[in-house]
Amino acid sequence: MDRSSPLARRLLLGGATLAVAAPAVLRHARGETPIRIGMPVAMTGPGGEIGLQMRHGAEFWAKQQNAKNGLLGRQIEIVAQDTGGDPATCVRKAQEVVERDGCRLLFGMTLSSEALAVVPKLAEWNAIFVSSDNGDGRLTGSSFVPNFFRANISGPMETRVISLWLRKSEFKNFYALGMDYAWGHNSIGVFEDEVKKANKTFLGAVYSPIGTKDFSTYITKIRQSGADACFLVLQGDDNNAFLSQAHEYRLPDKVQLLTSIVDLNSIHAVGDASLGLAGSTRYVFTIDTPSNKDFVAEWRKEYATEPDVFEGEQYQACQILQAGVEAAQSIDAEKLRPALEKVAIDSIKGHVAMRECDHQAVQGGYMVKVERPAGAKAPLPQIIATFPGDAITPACRQMTFDS
Amino acid sequence: MGGVGTLHRGTRPCPPAFDPLRGPIPQAEGEESQHPIALMDFLGFLITQCLNALSQAALLFFLGVGLTLIFGIMRIVNFAHGAFFMLGAYVGYTAVHLTGSFWAALVFAPVAVGLVGAAFELGILRRLYRRDGSAFLMVTFGLTLILGEAIRLVWGVAALEVPSPQSLSGIVFILDEPFPVYRLFLAGAGVVVALAIWQFLERTRLGLLIRATSQNAEMVHALGTDVRLVRSAVFGIGCGLAGIGGVFAAPLVTASLGMAPNAVIDTFVIVIIGGMGSFPGSLIGALLVAFVQVFGTYYFPDLAMAFMYLIMLAVLVVRPGGLLGKEA
Repeated sequence: MDRSSPLARRLLLGGATLAVAAPAVLRHARGETPIRIGMPVAMTGPGGEIGLQMRHGAEFWAKQQNAKNGLLGRQIEIVAQDTGGDPATCVRKAQEVVERDGCRLLFGMTLSSEALAVVPKLAEWNAIFVSSDNGDGRLTGSSFVPNFFRANISGPMETRVISLWLRKSEFKNFYALGMDYAWGHNSIGVFEDEVKKANKTFLGAVYSPIGTKDFSTYITKIRQSGADACFLVLQGDDNNAFLSQAHEYRLPDKVQLLTSIVDLNSIHAVGDASLGLAGSTRYVFTIDTPSNKDFVAEWRKEYATEPDVFEGEQYQACQILQAGVEAAQSIDAEKLRPALEKVAIDSIKGHVAMRECDHQAVQGGYMVKVERPAGAKAPLPQIIATFPGDAITPACRQMTFDS
Repeated sequence: MGGVGTLHRGTRPCPPAFDPLRGPIPQAEGEESQHPIALMDFLGFLITQCLNALSQAALLFFLGVGLTLIFGIMRIVNFAHGAFFMLGAYVGYTAVHLTGSFWAALVFAPVAVGLVGAAFELGILRRLYRRDGSAFLMVTFGLTLILGEAIRLVWGVAALEVPSPQSLSGIVFILDEPFPVYRLFLAGAGVVVALAIWQFLERTRLGLLIRATSQNAEMVHALGTDVRLVRSAVFGIGCGLAGIGGVFAAPLVTASLGMAPNAVIDTFVIVIIGGMGSFPGSLIGALLVAFVQVFGTYYFPDLAMAFMYLIMLAVLVVRPGGLLGKEA
């Protein structure tokens, strides 16, 4: 007895350890490690608000799927890392999640500059990156790489939605206000072209430095331009300050304000000052599809609020990745790539089909206007026009439209 | 000319030709009669832009005067001044939502921010007066980071709406140019606060002590006054003024996490232009920056960002201590 006691204890301990570890060990033996998706994303700095939404959207999807036995029977794990919106940091963090955490699937890269820095590395890492918000046309054009897929609407597509809408609109004379850096100048350049193609008048543009707090002078210039509509390329605090002050000066009574992105954060921040604002949107929770209604209902149950633009766009990117992985029955880049190229699903935004030639997801475009429907507590974006995917998607690997 | 609700005309002061925008314009008279209209339009433009500049100057003044008072007494540069400004906006937001009154926020927020400032002086700064200036830079910069993160934790990352009071949310027409009542109120508030501070410094005992301490702290101490208390009070008052600025600014820019870094740069520029430690200097600095900013941006929008720094550069070259600085 004296000699068998330690043995018995050891056996017991060993047995207990085995019993505790067995499910994990067995899962591992069957290849059922979690599917880890790397998400280097800007959570602070420029784009931090957008990055947090992207992360939120991906984590919501992962939680939903994990409750339903995961993806290919494996749990999904989102490995999020803050890039601070800096391309060099983003490349480093992406490398970390690939090499240290073993991720072969990537989401995130909030800013296009970050994505452009990362995509040349994808082949070397043997990783697939599904973008949910990068707007830069070059990613599916001159900088295209086979392991990059764009699930979201691109910048040129966004502008195309506005330009198709303004061709039909009653507005004739346009002015523009943009933030004084590449994004503002590029977007207004594209917009100016579109105005001219629509045989309407572009009166001019003014650019405000990033961080402008007082917009009274710019509001005066817009009013004096004689425009009946003004295109805005502003974001974050600058956008909120402009909308608050434009409302103060009653500018929207006289000039229709158009914007490249209508987002809920900004509407919440400025309240009634957002009323009347029109623009294209990548996603809005009022989209009328069965899949979106389910999504919004479950989102509300989880967070007691509505999903915002980049939360919805991220969720669609997750749906596209999921369809690809399920078709390929693998997350290996060689098998997944051809499967993703053929994805065509009814996502929360409606029908969306990945294009084989440049990996751009062809999808409908929405034009919304901020209104306060009867009984609503706060202003809401309402869809005022919808454009089919083939009308708003440029030709393969192109960034512009011929007509 | 046109009352509330009529469709107002725009103006084109440069070149001074009248350009009809939308709506019918009386054009019955001949060409000569267009000049008075153009002149009136230009006058309207001029007045509204001046009022704009005054309202901006008021906001800048609330920031600058606090910083300069603190510097005058304590010889330290408060890097956390922008953070106190931001804190004022957020506390104002909460006060508006709890009480439903902007006026309550205007009283509560500066007091709360002032108390936080005074507590910081009592608890931390007071222990550092024997150290050299870099200690204050580090500590107040650290406070900026702490306040920023604290605000992020308490109020979240999204910008928050602080509506202007109902009674001030209308517009008036000044020679046909629409102008928000709230900005008129801001400009007025700037004048009132400037007069109040001036009277406070000149007429009250604490004002006298503040002026005396800024000239010779040791003598004041030797005469039996607790200089440490004066310092705490001034730090609290300076932060409270930044807090008022935050509440006033919130309806224009929303309460957001970007307020602090933006504000602190403007404040430094104003104080450097006016002269460190000079109360009238901060007033002149605020007015100068606001007017040059408004008119400069209108006529040369490409240089909008540069104007403030160009004035600072010019002042530093001519008077290195600032316009009314002691070293000058």
